[in-house]
Amino acid sequence: MALRTRARSTRLLVVALVSISLVTITVDYREGNDGPLASLGDAALAVISPLQEVVSKVTHPIGNFFSTLVRLPSIRHERDVLRERVDALETQLAEGRADQARLAELEALFGLQESLGNRIETTAAQVIANGVSNFEWTITIDKGSSVGISVGMPVVSSAGLVGHVVRVGTSSSVVQLIIDPDSSVAGRLDVSRQTGLLSGSGPSDLQMSLVDPTVDVAPDEHVVTAGYRIAGVAESLYPPNILIGTVSRVLDEDSATEKLLTVRPAVDFSSLSLVLVVLSRDARG
Amino acid sequence: MRRVLLLSAVILTALILQTTVFSEVNLLGAKPELMYLLTICFAVLEGPSSGAITGFAGGMAQDFLLDAPKGITALTLTLLGYAIGMARQYIVSPSPVLPVLLVAGGTFAGIVFYGIVSFLLGQLSVGWLYLFRVALLSAVYNAILTPLVFPLLRRAAEGSRSRRVARW
Repeated sequence: MALRTRARSTRLLVVALVSISLVTITVDYREGNDGPLASLGDAALAVISPLQEVVSKVTHPIGNFFSTLVRLPSIRHERDVLRERVDALETQLAEGRADQARLAELEALFGLQESLGNRIETTAAQVIANGVSNFEWTITIDKGSSVGISVGMPVVSSAGLVGHVVRVGTSSSVVQLIIDPDSSVAGRLDVSRQTGLLSGSGPSDLQMSLVDPTVDVAPDEHVVTAGYRIAGVAESLYPPNILIGTVSRVLDEDSATEKLLTVRPAVDFSSLSLVLVVLSRDARG
Repeated sequence: MRRVLLLSAVILTALILQTTVFSEVNLLGAKPELMYLLTICFAVLEGPSSGAITGFAGGMAQDFLLDAPKGITALTLTLLGYAIGMARQYIVSPSPVLPVLLVAGGTFAGIVFYGIVSFLLGQLSVGWLYLFRVALLSAVYNAILTPLVFPLLRRAAEGSRSRRVARW
């Protein structure tokens, strides 16, 4: 008997609870998000959220650990993808830097081209190789007869005189540098206006000979191209007033008939990358 | 009074754990349903009326806390607690696996029931396939948690029962 009353009371209880639930559902359904039930929910949330925050702070690393464990393969994949991306971006960055350097060089060349005057026609070329042997100071550029380059044409860079073309292919040419021992250039001292002959001596500075011994030469004096012929010795291939280098030393002790100077080239031949080839003939000395 | 306090504490703990720890530790995209687990455990331990009350209180708490349509979880869990409590009276097996099986079956049935009620009210925002998947995974998850939670709750329930209190 007692058991039956208990069962009945339980059923009553369940019916009551279910009814309350149904009423809640109905009220909530009819009132939507603005009713008293919603605000009650908000209040409950306001009470419990600080607790959640605390627990979350404590357990977050633990949860993170487990979810990381589960996600490990995808994380590894993600890492690989990101690494690849970093590599690609770094390459891009390096390319960007190289482009910027190239741009600066081109701008300098453009300035040089303007200073040579409009009469002179030039073409820019990229250095693609350095001389093959230790006894030859040449560079190879990426332009040839297809753009009108022929043997003997002067080559300059933004810093100064580079050399002249000695061999021409259709799309490449070889340029003999002024530091090559076979190269001779007629030069003029900037201040004293005295001329002389500059010949290359490989890795060391240019030798300047045939200078009038009576002339006072200041150290660091600029030497530019003379732009005329010295019969029998060398034809001045180069337009006048292109910077060759600066006087580094005066060797005048032993010779009374001529002064010997050494001239440090203005161009750093180890890092040449862009040069201008002077095309027009009437510009030559 | 002790029981009311115990129940409140357990429900609050379950809610907080559910929304913090277990919202991150999920199994194939599903979370455990601690409130279902709790209701079923109490129903097994204390009988249908206790199960119904636990389910009602826990369901209401969850409904008001989460941004769910209010009352559906309470309805589901009330009926679930009652049903499990009733079923427990007719099963005479001392097997320790029994709670695990009841939890797994009860969780699955409860979530599906919740889905049906939501559907009837036009509140079901997910597909049926997803619902069944979640029900199944949550059932498995709850079943795994049962051996941890059940002994804990039994001890708590026995502790609070040691003194004679008003019967619900």
